[in-house]
Amino acid sequence: MKPLLRRLQYLLNRRRREEELAAEMEFHLEMTQREGGENFGNALRLREEAREAWGWTWIDRLLQDLHYAARVLRKSPGFTLAAILMLAIGIGANVAAFGFFDLMVLRPLNVKHPETLLRFERRSTEAYAAALPYPEWEFFQRYSRTLSAVLGLSPGKLSMEGEGKQVPAQFVSTNYLSELGAVPVLGRVLEPGLDGAPAAEPVVVLSSAFWQRHFGGDPGVIGRVVRLNDKPATVVGVVSEDFGGLSFDVPAVWAPIRQQPYFAAGSRLLTDFSVDSTGVLLWGRLQPGLTPKIAEDELRTLAAELRKQHPDDIWKDESLPSEPGGYAKSLRNRNRHGTGRDDSDGMLPLFALVGALVLLILVVACANLGSLLMARGVARQREIAIRVSVGAGTGRLIRQLFTESVLLGLAGSAAGLLAGYAILRGLMVLSSAPVWLDPRPDWRVVVFAVGVGFAAAILFGLAPAWQVARQRHRAMLARQILVGAQMAASCILLIVSGLLGRALTHAMSTDPGFAYQKLISIGPGLAQHGYSPAKAHAYLDALQSRLEGLPGVRSVALTLTPPLGHGTISAGVTVDGHELDFQVNYIDPQFLSTMKIPLLRGRNFTRGDTKVVVVSESLARVAWPGQDPIGKEFSGSSVVGVCGSARLVKLEDSNSVEAYFPVSESELPSMFMLAETSGRPEDSVRAIATTARRIDPAIFPEVELVKDGFQRKIQSAESTALAVSALGMIAHLLACFGIVGVVAYAVSQRTKEIGIRMALGAKPGDVLSVVLRQFSRPVVAGMVVGIGVAAALSRILRSILYGVSNLDPATYAITIAVFVVTVVVAALVPARRALRVDPLRALRYD
Amino acid sequence: MPKTEMPSGALMLLILRVLRSSPLHGYAIAQRIHMLSSEVLRVEEGALYPTLQKILLQGWATAEWGTSETNRKVRFYRLTPAGRKQLASELSDYDRVHQAIQAVLRTA
Repeated sequence: MKPLLRRLQYLLNRRRREEELAAEMEFHLEMTQREGGENFGNALRLREEAREAWGWTWIDRLLQDLHYAARVLRKSPGFTLAAILMLAIGIGANVAAFGFFDLMVLRPLNVKHPETLLRFERRSTEAYAAALPYPEWEFFQRYSRTLSAVLGLSPGKLSMEGEGKQVPAQFVSTNYLSELGAVPVLGRVLEPGLDGAPAAEPVVVLSSAFWQRHFGGDPGVIGRVVRLNDKPATVVGVVSEDFGGLSFDVPAVWAPIRQQPYFAAGSRLLTDFSVDSTGVLLWGRLQPGLTPKIAEDELRTLAAELRKQHPDDIWKDESLPSEPGGYAKSLRNRNRHGTGRDDSDGMLPLFALVGALVLLILVVACANLGSLLMARGVARQREIAIRVSVGAGTGRLIRQLFTESVLLGLAGSAAGLLAGYAILRGLMVLSSAPVWLDPRPDWRVVVFAVGVGFAAAILFGLAPAWQVARQRHRAMLARQILVGAQMAASCILLIVSGLLGRALTHAMSTDPGFAYQKLISIGPGLAQHGYSPAKAHAYLDALQSRLEGLPGVRSVALTLTPPLGHGTISAGVTVDGHELDFQVNYIDPQFLSTMKIPLLRGRNFTRGDTKVVVVSESLARVAWPGQDPIGKEFSGSSVVGVCGSARLVKLEDSNSVEAYFPVSESELPSMFMLAETSGRPEDSVRAIATTARRIDPAIFPEVELVKDGFQRKIQSAESTALAVSALGMIAHLLACFGIVGVVAYAVSQRTKEIGIRMALGAKPGDVLSVVLRQFSRPVVAGMVVGIGVAAALSRILRSILYGVSNLDPATYAITIAVFVVTVVVAALVPARRALRVDPLRALRYD
Repeated sequence: MPKTEMPSGALMLLILRVLRSSPLHGYAIAQRIHMLSSEVLRVEEGALYPTLQKILLQGWATAEWGTSETNRKVRFYRLTPAGRKQLASELSDYDRVHQAIQAVLRTA
């Protein structure tokens, strides 16, 4: 250790040490000469040798190389700019993708001690749910010893005077705000001591944005009584705007969860065990020194304990797997429950796909730069030759050239960091991401960018450096491999962006299996208001008959899952030995006709049917290929009908299949109502809303155009397709520029040969084929590989292609045509120069 | 008599050994070794100074500025306790190897 420290000291005092050494050796020389000794030798060289003992000579060389590289790059600004631009695109795409990953998975949320937060979900062998029933949550809160704090969140909506729409509200445990470090800009946050008691005054805390918007930032708002759902509540605080909490959307108000029934009259949230109830999302803060595993074990034991009292409500073998709770990723998937396998991480392959695509862009950029550097290496032949003749070794030359590449790579990293930030920011604006998600790069992104820059330098710099140093610039093979790699990469990108574009136009032009244009969904949220099934039955009957009486309404139906909403219910069954996941829906007999879903075989339900199911044609195909599904046993019911496939929720997922069960009394409080209008649905919204509102003044139904949900879905698909297409086009453009470059280079290399051929009577076609033949093979090979890889890779895309096959022939044909045409043009433009070669001049060349 | 060069490991040992009695400057080290070896061993400057730098880095000697016999400022090398320890261990190593070689030479 000590010698190392001394060595460092030497580095820091290098100048003085060197002077000392010089003085010492000069003295030696003097003495030798005085005593008539032999010649001392080259003093400078001797000094250098002595200095090498310090072990720092590599720094001198590196500095020398860097100086030299910087000078070389400065001297050819055109090349440098082009190289940095190319790298900016290649690295920028990667930085943007990594930046998103960083935001979702790596970067802790802006809350207090995010690293100790855990998010728990319910799971058993047969079922899963994102949210817990409040009684279970409360049980954990009371008895957990491994968690120092148990946090709960239940999202909702409240109507407020002066606001046209309902405002988003979050009912939270009273420790939620303080435990997460929310800072009040006015008043206070919720306090367990003040607001936790059952008889506590109803209070709300406002978000900064809502306070600004609704109250104009009035500092006198504290203590003011506001009416939410017509219930008075006192404003006790305003939370600063940088607080996002454990949710993507910042609500207008936070209120204690125990007061939820006060606002939502009749709500049974606090007592309801059913999985269909909104429930509470569970976060916990781990006691110091414990592992998540210990907490999971404890909660599982507690759940088993609670099951003794509630055997029907807590699942058999219920466990509560955790995930790190302080990261944006854990905020997803909040509205899910079902039976069977859980596909919560369905995003993962997509992440991987995006990663692969951006990597391809980098490959194209690097290959391009590699051939550019190689062509440049030839131009630098003379310089290299001089350096070799004055004694530079191969290793030294390679190091020098490689230093240049690294310098370029680092400049590219800086440019890529900027480009990546711009891309990510643009995408986030397009997809209206939550405001508190900050796309600015943090240290992880910076490290990543520098790392990618370095890797890119190795990728594009090493091979040409090697080749140049060894003066073997006619190595056709390396160039052909570069061209082939570029072609393959850009071909993959083109096909994938083509598929996404096609999926988008397909989604917009074809119907999703049901008619959404004139549909209005009405969500009364009866379960949240504690409606019993019988009461719900009465309410829904009244609503149905009144809606049917409205002039613009043609038909009315009930459904548990509103089309194109956010929630999903999936289930898994085993059919003939293989597992099958499907979307569950409970409906009434009018549903199919209201939704315009055709009944293909068998019959529809009638009122009072039980133990029957209507399956979609797609489900029948998967479950009983080639057989008649009517009469088959499915999930404890018998199949009576087959209807058209209609992806109600997962519009984009062509693998999703549906089964419809007749609604039973117990689901009635959770049902949505659908109204089909005869005219424009916009004209009927208001009438429907007022009608629904009149039945029970305590209920504030959500009335929405299904069309809007469709627009939302399309919009996010649109931005994805747009982004990927842009990336694909840019990558392909880069690749085409690469072709222009290598062909132009090949022409200039073979001017003499072309001249001779022309002098001997070669026709233009012959000349072109001489120039282009060497590229046809790598281009074709690259294309074939690209198509193959794209076909394999795009399987991952199936779930977001809106039913377009990932092998859609039209897309492939069009993409390949575009590819071939652009590449041929890119090759022909510079190749034409070969035709203008003047044989006489070419022969005199050299 | 021809002047013989020596392997660098031996040079390290010799330098440490001549420094044991008193601090010396570089030229004096070379001279001392030359004289003590009855002018057989000749220390090349190209080997001496790198080895001295290594000794400094290892902390076996410290360097301080002093005045030479000819009244010039020059750097004197002084053995540290660590240097003495190193010398002792190198000496014993050397002895072992020397004896082993001798044994082979005598009996073979």
